[in-house]
Amino acid sequence: MDAAAAALGLFAGQKATDAVALVPDLVLADADPAADAAALTALADWCARFSPAVAPDPPDGLFLDITGVAHLWGGEEAMAADLAARLARNGLPVRTAIAGVPAAAWALARFGEAGAVAPSAGEAERRLCSLPAAGLRLLPDEAAQIARLGLATIGTLAVLPRAQVTRRFGPGVLLRLDQVLGRVREALTYRRPPSSWFARLTFAEPISTPDDLTRATGNIARRLCARLEAEGRGGRRFELCFHRLDGAVHRLAVGLALPGRDAPTIARLLVPRLETVDPGFGVEVVTLAAEGVEPLSARQGRLDEARDIALEEGVAPLVDRLTNRLGEGAVWRAEAHPSHDPERAVRRRPPLSPPPAAGSGWDPERPRPLRLFRRPEPIEAMAPVPDDPPVFFRWRGVGHRVRRAEGPERLAEEWWRRPFDAAGPGRVRDYYRVEDEGGSRFWLFRDGLYAAAEPPKWWLHGLFG
Amino acid sequence: MSRAASFEAVRAKVAALEAGGAPVQAAMSFGDDRIDAVFPAGGLPLGCWHEVAGEGLEIETAAATAAFTATLARPLAGRGAVVWVMRRGDLYAPGLVGLGFPAERLIQVRVRDEIQALAALEDALGNAGVAAAIGEVEDVDLTAGRRLRLACERRGATGFVIRRRLFGGPSGGSSGGMTGNAAGGSAATTRWTVTAAPSDPERGGTGLGASRWRVSLTRCRGGRAGEWILEMNDGAYPLCVVAVMDDRQLEAPQSGRRVG
Repeated sequence: MDAAAAALGLFAGQKATDAVALVPDLVLADADPAADAAALTALADWCARFSPAVAPDPPDGLFLDITGVAHLWGGEEAMAADLAARLARNGLPVRTAIAGVPAAAWALARFGEAGAVAPSAGEAERRLCSLPAAGLRLLPDEAAQIARLGLATIGTLAVLPRAQVTRRFGPGVLLRLDQVLGRVREALTYRRPPSSWFARLTFAEPISTPDDLTRATGNIARRLCARLEAEGRGGRRFELCFHRLDGAVHRLAVGLALPGRDAPTIARLLVPRLETVDPGFGVEVVTLAAEGVEPLSARQGRLDEARDIALEEGVAPLVDRLTNRLGEGAVWRAEAHPSHDPERAVRRRPPLSPPPAAGSGWDPERPRPLRLFRRPEPIEAMAPVPDDPPVFFRWRGVGHRVRRAEGPERLAEEWWRRPFDAAGPGRVRDYYRVEDEGGSRFWLFRDGLYAAAEPPKWWLHGLFG
Repeated sequence: MSRAASFEAVRAKVAALEAGGAPVQAAMSFGDDRIDAVFPAGGLPLGCWHEVAGEGLEIETAAATAAFTATLARPLAGRGAVVWVMRRGDLYAPGLVGLGFPAERLIQVRVRDEIQALAALEDALGNAGVAAAIGEVEDVDLTAGRRLRLACERRGATGFVIRRRLFGGPSGGSSGGMTGNAAGGSAATTRWTVTAAPSDPERGGTGLGASRWRVSLTRCRGGRAGEWILEMNDGAYPLCVVAVMDDRQLEAPQSGRRVG
């Protein structure tokens, strides 16, 4: 509801027919909650320039946790004014309020004077008492009950005995009252995890050339890493955001295999990807946030303990470079998974994750191929009955005469992973390791138990070197 | 200074250049004179890269070549990490463990194309803490080969290139597939051709014996060519010599050979 509409006598909650009667040339549009939510999310992302901790408050609100950030703007008032001015320039009217607790800020923003800043808890309470009870974020029937009793303001509610409030209006009202007065803490759902590891660069003149972006990346990485270093910590993930003049935000994220705080390393990982950033009319704010921050000095204490640690430290930059260039999941270490299903016996783990405690876990008594096909390939095989390996088979059009064979190794499906009805004795594979006349080795299996009625199906599942 | 002395000095310089620029090279002995003798340094040269190719269907499946390379690189895994760069994700770690290769030292990297594969291989070889890097690529041109060599020399890591075509395609008819391509591997220090060879279980034994390969060294910088039948060995040396084939000169091996 903007000022122009209010001047015409329209208000929220008005019936469409009444509104059209007042303003005959009114253009009506259906409410689109999904689009509203998307717009709020986009706005929340935009607000990350002010603070990394942004919590959307549907349908029309945003909470920003500005603890320890406001000084970057020269105070809370200046920050709120900057936020309002920037949004106004984009055609978004906004009401802001700053208070010690989210609920108080919510009430002040909606019912207090515009741009209110409550410097202290006492001041906030004094201002809140004169606000209407609707500022408590009540449920409709709670609000109706309060209105019926003539309790117009938060102040009149606050002076009632607590037991009476609960009995008359239910526990929800008391909770809201406590929240607004800062007696209980309120948990907010932040759009991204709040991190105090956050650095920000603002430019008087928007930047857009690749050289400037590169330099800004280096500078901001140095700034954040200096803080990380001062507190003996390192981050695992770094997210660089370019806030463009037109409000769009470009994000670049890099991950490290081990927590790090070496600014040149982080900048080196980010710089090759700057070319994907479209600066548009220019970038005015650059932010860098570190996630997964953990103490780093504890790790280095173990340097002299074992050679493995030093090795790990040496390989970590390589793993980082490859992971960031090739994508997550492209670099891994194979680890045993307790399953006799060949496809499931291997798990991919991050290369520098600690190795499992006991051994590699694969049974050395069960030979496995070096190349395992994702899908077994059908072969034509001739095998004597019933449990013998084939004497001859044809794969990809080439015949192989089997000279030696080992087996069978019978592997049944893991019936406990299936619905009860679908499990049965039919899904059994008899694996053979065979060598042909040339010395090539194959891993073959016969699908299902031997049945006289139908010829058995044979598959090739892997190759030994 | 006499004329003969300066001649000797030049000759030594040329020999050093032929040996790959480094006069004294680290080498990994095979523990057998019949194979060590062909190398200038008395064993597989380290700090450079080697090319391993297969024949026939192996050009696409690269199973014997991978098994031979993993066996060859096994002693190196004790010195640091081993990086395996591949375009197809069909390398099966339990099979590597079966060859005695420590899977916990292996970092597998999956790439999308040839250029990425060579770049990742080069990056890995030049990195501290990497003892060996193995790459499955189709071809290495001269420039890429030189870059790999420089990367190897930076930290003394050893590279292995397994030549593998992603999808079989035309195997070049009777020319033996990729082994005939001489220009490609000229930056490689050695070039090997590996095919499977029939195993020989112990007397009276049934089933399969230890893996064997027919291995021919078709190119060796500063050394000689040779051809052997090698068997996988669990001991200190990863391979042992079963038989020495005819000692031939630097001829491309004839294809269509059947061992049986």
